[in-house]
Amino acid sequence: MKHIGRKIYLALIFILMYAPIATLVVLSFNSSKTRAKWGGFTLKWYSSMLADSSIMNALYTTLIIAFLSALIATVIGTAASVGIHSMQAKLKTFFITVTNIPMLNADIVTGISLMLLFIACRFTLGFATILIAHITFNIPYVIMSVLPKLRQVNHSTYEAALDLGASRTYAFRKVIFPDILPGVLSGFLLAFTMSLDDFIITHFTKGPGVDTLSTKIYSEVRKGIKPEMYALSTLLFVSVLVLMMLANSAPKKDESGRIKRSSFIAKRVVPIVLILVFVGGGFLSHIISNANSSSEQLVVYNWGEYIDPEVIEMFQEETGIQVTYEEYETNEIMYPKVQSGAIAYDVVCPSDYMIERMLQNDLLAEINWDNVPNIKNIDEAYMEQSKSFDPENKYSVPYCFGTVGILYNKTMVDEPITSWDVLWDEKYKDNILMQDSVRDAFAVALKRNGDSINSTDVTELQQATQDLIEQKPLVQAYVVDQVRDKMIGNEAAIGVIYSGEAIYTQRENSDLEYVIPEEGSNVWIDSWVIPKNAKNKENAEEFLNFLCRPEIALMNFDYITYSTPNKAGRELIEDDDIRNSRIAFPTAEDLKDCETFKFLGDEADAYYNELWNKVKAS
Amino acid sequence: MNKNKSNRILAGPYLFWSVAFILIPLAMIVYYGFTNESGGFTFANIAEIGSPENLKALGLALLLSFISTLICLILAYPLAMILSEANVNQSSFIVMIFILPMWMNFLLRTLAWQTLLEKNGVINSVLDFLHMPNLQIINTPYAIILGMVYNFLPFMVLPIYNALIKLDKDVINAARDLGATQKQTFLKIIFPLTLPGIISGITMVFVPALTTFVISDLLGGSKILLIGNVIEQKFKQGSNWNVGSGLSLVMMIFILLSMAIMNKYDKDGEGGMF
Amino acid sequence: MSNTLIDFVNISKSFGNQLILDEFNLSVKENEFLTLLGPSGCGKTTTLRILGGFETPDKGQVIFDGTDITALPPNKRNLNTVFQKYALFTHMSIAENIAFGLKISGKSQAYIDDKIKYALKLVNLDGYENRRPDSLSGGQQQRIAIARAIVNEPKVLLLDEPLGALDLKLRQDMSYELIRLKNELGITFIYVTHDQEEALTMSDTIVVMNQGYIQQMGSPEDIYNEPQNAFVADFIGESNIIPSLMLEDKLVEIQGAKFPCVDTGFGTNKPVDVVIRPEDIDLVKPEDGTIEGVVTHLIFKGVHYEMEVMANGFEWLVHSTDMVAVGERVGIHVDPFDIQIMNKPESEDDEAVGVNE
Repeated sequence: MKHIGRKIYLALIFILMYAPIATLVVLSFNSSKTRAKWGGFTLKWYSSMLADSSIMNALYTTLIIAFLSALIATVIGTAASVGIHSMQAKLKTFFITVTNIPMLNADIVTGISLMLLFIACRFTLGFATILIAHITFNIPYVIMSVLPKLRQVNHSTYEAALDLGASRTYAFRKVIFPDILPGVLSGFLLAFTMSLDDFIITHFTKGPGVDTLSTKIYSEVRKGIKPEMYALSTLLFVSVLVLMMLANSAPKKDESGRIKRSSFIAKRVVPIVLILVFVGGGFLSHIISNANSSSEQLVVYNWGEYIDPEVIEMFQEETGIQVTYEEYETNEIMYPKVQSGAIAYDVVCPSDYMIERMLQNDLLAEINWDNVPNIKNIDEAYMEQSKSFDPENKYSVPYCFGTVGILYNKTMVDEPITSWDVLWDEKYKDNILMQDSVRDAFAVALKRNGDSINSTDVTELQQATQDLIEQKPLVQAYVVDQVRDKMIGNEAAIGVIYSGEAIYTQRENSDLEYVIPEEGSNVWIDSWVIPKNAKNKENAEEFLNFLCRPEIALMNFDYITYSTPNKAGRELIEDDDIRNSRIAFPTAEDLKDCETFKFLGDEADAYYNELWNKVKAS
Repeated sequence: MNKNKSNRILAGPYLFWSVAFILIPLAMIVYYGFTNESGGFTFANIAEIGSPENLKALGLALLLSFISTLICLILAYPLAMILSEANVNQSSFIVMIFILPMWMNFLLRTLAWQTLLEKNGVINSVLDFLHMPNLQIINTPYAIILGMVYNFLPFMVLPIYNALIKLDKDVINAARDLGATQKQTFLKIIFPLTLPGIISGITMVFVPALTTFVISDLLGGSKILLIGNVIEQKFKQGSNWNVGSGLSLVMMIFILLSMAIMNKYDKDGEGGMF
Repeated sequence: MSNTLIDFVNISKSFGNQLILDEFNLSVKENEFLTLLGPSGCGKTTTLRILGGFETPDKGQVIFDGTDITALPPNKRNLNTVFQKYALFTHMSIAENIAFGLKISGKSQAYIDDKIKYALKLVNLDGYENRRPDSLSGGQQQRIAIARAIVNEPKVLLLDEPLGALDLKLRQDMSYELIRLKNELGITFIYVTHDQEEALTMSDTIVVMNQGYIQQMGSPEDIYNEPQNAFVADFIGESNIIPSLMLEDKLVEIQGAKFPCVDTGFGTNKPVDVVIRPEDIDLVKPEDGTIEGVVTHLIFKGVHYEMEVMANGFEWLVHSTDMVAVGERVGIHVDPFDIQIMNKPESEDDEAVGVNE
């Protein structure tokens, strides 16, 4: 009886530990892009994962950092252990205490403290700073693995070696080191694992342009995790699992030293060999991906999931221009990277108000329209609308546009939704999803009160803040693109969402309906611009011209479901319902009270942030 | 023992490293924490903890981390006892079971709980199938506690497990031999002798739970702020490093407290994890 | 003599597929100092642990003072154990260690204090009440372990190789101490060891065990002088074990020479093993001995010389206070009552089962 109870308990804990992992493995085979729905079995994410350079780069960075930091930490840590072992009690205590600091201290404090140091020393945050940080928190793990082994070492064997004429280094190498080797190796493995799993410290010490898997995933949380990420993690996990099983099934009889040795090899050496293969593979893939580069280059910086990958392939094939593609999650993340000029992007796709800010700061180059004849395909109306931030239509090519509105589930609400007020309706407590970004959240509150979404009026903003605080208990969660997954999965009744997502969600769940509230809303345009420091301006213009082709615009529309300003492209849409959809292509009447975001200046931005923090902390 | 003196030099690089990347950075937090933006000395950053929002975040963090530490302890001790009585040959395998999940990214593991816990998520679908009442904890503090327990349980199990397998079986036999019942043996012998492991486990769960911002972010629907979230925002969004440092210092008081307790009970680092 | 206190009845125990005890039977009398002696793996510790209640036998019963205690947990048994590595509670002071059993059984504080004083005095460690176990030497810890056990006034004290971890001098001192304690307390001691010297010094009764079987049981003198088989002879002290032929009653042929002996009843022309202790061999002039040989090795051992004599193809081990130089020819003489005849085991299993006449 007792044994059955134990087994059940063990099983429950096992389920707790591995249920999330099983979930991720299942998701990696889910052909639906949303995690809320099972769309059938597929292996496609495993193949597209290999083609996704941003994921492969993150994997490569992660593995290299884990390997290097574990290696360096092992060297420093092992030497330190030998040193500490031979110290007197007092000094030893000091060292052990220092060693304990990174182990016991909160990761967030370690991360912040290193960030402050790097910035004070004018060290550019990037690969090197992550590496230093990882070495710092890895050394203690090595010391903690090696020190106990040193305590077990029989000191007289070392003295015997000296007595037999060995030099001290030789004696250490031949006598002490083999004894502590298991500790050194498990220290290395532990360090490698810790480095691989770290997010928090990396989060604070990384710079723009460098991502480990962890930070990449964190940024994707807002956009929705790419299924390729599940595939990659599953692959990593399964290979480690198989390895550990092999190690554990190795012969355990210790009748002779030889068999013991082989199990030692299985347990410690094989994992390390595997790590080397992983890391080596990373190097190789990096070299290969760099090898097939042609002389003609183009560096594209775009929102995540904001282009059909096939379009890039086609462009490369047709023009022979090698495209380097990078993604960002918000305008605010993109801006400092372009401004710093650390990487020379050739073409970027910011939103309206951000283009205005970039223009004000003289970051953009004029587009030579002779190279972009297809601009004629863009609906005049949108060129006109662009003038609010690009007064002479000199700098930007409209790419996508849309509104912000309410997505609701017809089966979960009683009345037709017409007003932002519904987001304050007690009836829908815990059934409301709000946007987790300052401007979008305030836009909702301001519009509801009949104010401008670009308000800088203190009383209006205070009122909006008050309203948002009042609304908070009703809100199920503040999310960004997860609104999509959650609405598809019937997790909530009402959500604030971009119109582009509405079309996709309706495709997946026919109970969903999108509306622009009668008080008006935000209408936005994302447009391609060319930064001043672009190195391949002509290639960039060729790319823009390519994107303006009707059939390409259609491909992108099908893939990302955000409204296209490309008139010719729109006409190619076969489905009448969508071509004439007032969600995708709202009429002037629909938009009569809608505004475009404007850049409000740094001071007003800070004020918005302060108020938003107040809402979140309430 | 004359080899000792010259061997100490081997700790040199580590000494340099730890001064440069552990001690000086900590000093920088102290510096930022006690200065304002123009560099003048101030207590204002520390005093920020007194604002209602920050106090609430700190209090909630303390409460949630305390509860999850307690749950971890209650779950981990019997577990460690069962594991420690298993075949000795399996011990490395057991440790592996708890280390292995770390190879699946921490964020993804935590995110997976969303899929599991959501209103129409995996767990509720199973409950529906069994005609049992639904579990509605996503985006509440309960989900955060679950996330903490899930992520930090191994850090409680492993030190206790290590303390238990180091116990001399004959010490337990001796207590039984001297007339102690199983319960008395546990309370008077096993529990006190594994205390270093327990303390070490508590510290290793409490500190990361107290300071997390990721778990509350992912499972709390971005509407429950813990002190970790507040500090993270000060550095990453608001860019107010001075206040952020000040709040970190307040938080460090709790960390130092647990370090002091740990040092008192576990002088030789015996209650270690590995 | 006194009554039987403990009876092991048909005890069998195996770990995995390894049989440790097989149909084991043993009786222990009251006030006896009984030693279980044997090489490691012979089952002696298992026997003790079954009696202590730390192992349950697969088969058989343990009778203690007339009642069956086979299924009784250790805390319900009126006996206490001194463990091999002392098993002191490191998180308690010496006084708390000693008081442990008394507190459990709910004795008054005054009684407990008295008992602690008494017990510490008994083991010659007065004034150690507030010390910590890890601040004591091995010998001191061992005494505390004994004190901790005896304050509970058990009827039987079980000692599992209690001196194994001590150095030679300390071991000798402690064995005298144990004899004194045994006499003062007047209780039964069951002692487990692999050290024949300890066993011979302290015991009233020695039980020699091998591979789960009792090889011989008897007083130290019996065991030493009259080993019943080659195993016992070999394990206890040094001896010459020589395959021989029993020609008839009181006459045995050893290495081709006829030796008169005192044993009868082995039949005629029967192969046997002969045990002769090295100190029982007299080296005489070549012409006076039963066999003639040459001294091949000589070592001075303090009390005596150890010599090896090659005679008729066998190396005879001889202990003598008289030295004979290497290379000298000598005669070997053995008195008839110093020759011990044993049946030859047919197989290895037979050897383990031993000859229980």
